[in-house]
Amino acid sequence: MLSLDLLLNAIVAGILLGGFYAAVSLGISVAFGLLDIVNIAHPVFVVLGSYIAYALNSALGLDPLLTGLLGVPVFFALGVVVYRLYYASFEKTGEESLRGLVFFFGLLFIIEVALLLVYGVDYRMVEAAYIGDSLHIGSVGIALRLLVPCLVGIGMTVALYLVLSRTFWGRAIMAVSQDSQALRLMGANPVRIKTIAFGLSIATASLAGALLIVIGPVEPSIGREYIGRVFAIAVLGGMGSIGGTLAAGLILGVVETFTATYYGPSWALAVSFGILLVVLAVRPAGLFGR
Amino acid sequence: MASRLVVEDVHAGYGAVRVLHGVSVEANEGETVVLLGTNGNGKSTLIKSIMGMVAPARGAIFLELDGKRIDLVGRSTEDIVNLGIALVPEGRRLFPKLTVEENLLLGAYRRAARRDIKRNLDSCLEMFPILQERKRQLAGSMSGGEQQMLAVARALMSAPRLLLVDEPSVGLAPILVSRVISKIQELKDRYQLTVLMAEQNFNQATKIADRGYIIVHGRIEFEGASTQALSEHELVKRFYLGV
Repeated sequence: MLSLDLLLNAIVAGILLGGFYAAVSLGISVAFGLLDIVNIAHPVFVVLGSYIAYALNSALGLDPLLTGLLGVPVFFALGVVVYRLYYASFEKTGEESLRGLVFFFGLLFIIEVALLLVYGVDYRMVEAAYIGDSLHIGSVGIALRLLVPCLVGIGMTVALYLVLSRTFWGRAIMAVSQDSQALRLMGANPVRIKTIAFGLSIATASLAGALLIVIGPVEPSIGREYIGRVFAIAVLGGMGSIGGTLAAGLILGVVETFTATYYGPSWALAVSFGILLVVLAVRPAGLFGR
Repeated sequence: MASRLVVEDVHAGYGAVRVLHGVSVEANEGETVVLLGTNGNGKSTLIKSIMGMVAPARGAIFLELDGKRIDLVGRSTEDIVNLGIALVPEGRRLFPKLTVEENLLLGAYRRAARRDIKRNLDSCLEMFPILQERKRQLAGSMSGGEQQMLAVARALMSAPRLLLVDEPSVGLAPILVSRVISKIQELKDRYQLTVLMAEQNFNQATKIADRGYIIVHGRIEFEGASTQALSEHELVKRFYLGV
């Protein structure tokens, strides 16, 4: 029997989850969608962000979102270092396709194992005033620990969209993988542009990590659950489309919650990827791909 | 504000293949200089050497700005663009998945061009009404002629002192070639640009050129002080006019 309350709750929960999915996938949309860098380590950078939020929350009582925000410049710098390394070792010599993938795989394991060694396998969580509260609108319950990440995720999407579409750097980032030689003719250094873009991509992981640990407890290898999902969202939304990433995140969030509510959680991911396949068959460039 | 581009005895090529054997070319303030030659004679290689996309093995390339000499050899392409030299590259090299407007705005990336971006964008759209119409369209979805117009307009957005144009006529129907060429002339008059254009379409190129060079097998075979002198030269007669 289909109850209206259950349906409404599933849709609302799905939208909330979707905003968060977008936050986790934005970095991939930039790195994979715009720069052709297959950064499969992105989710583990998100988890790193979670642990930093955890560490500062448990030691100093700092709000996780504040920590996430403060971590943005630090993660940007981290992204710059990682890209420089990747560029010097692989991209420069044109060996990025396979070896670059291995590089990011290695990075994934190093960060994950480092987190394991420092914090162990136990789940960690943060404390903040809004975790645990919820709003009630009619029969629909909205947990603040889901609402806050969704809103922040939407805010991040808007901010990134504005940076990419309204600034000189942003437009250069959108152009760099289309023709890097032509970009030089515009007076921009493609390697510098890619460095900035990759820094931005990793910077999103700081906030996304804070959101992840606001939503629920985190353990070092939780990022693996997101590897398939973030790439699916980036591709479904259309490579490099920031608005598309949010749309795809919302779609996947709703579909997964819906499937989990009516057919059981184990079907959720399968249905998501099913949708991805159907969309790609009809629109190979993704929903909002150019 | 006198500027002059000087190419002196440049030897350049790709790996073991030498393409240019001691080429010397000059373009003075306000001139339109045409570099004539059929395919494979080194026109593009010379243009690429000026833009720092090919490193010359020997010779000098420099810009004289108000009596000061600025060497271009060894500088990166970005640096050269930042000095106020813009190139309309062969094959146009637009960003196909960006809109017309985004392509134009990227043209104004160099710092000196950002100040007047609004004015330059307006005047580009006014000069190329077709681009105004297609502002929000992806560059890759336009016809060849429209794309060539966009490539010229994009180069102009960088507010250059010196405009290099590499084979604007390639792949275009004759009527469009003539339209692109007269557009370049119009721009030149309006902005007092110095233009150096590589072209194999002799008739079209000489319509707007003040003077020119004929390049054959990587050497300047003739320097014509006027289009008159060029069209009377036997090389031109042999290559272009079929006499």
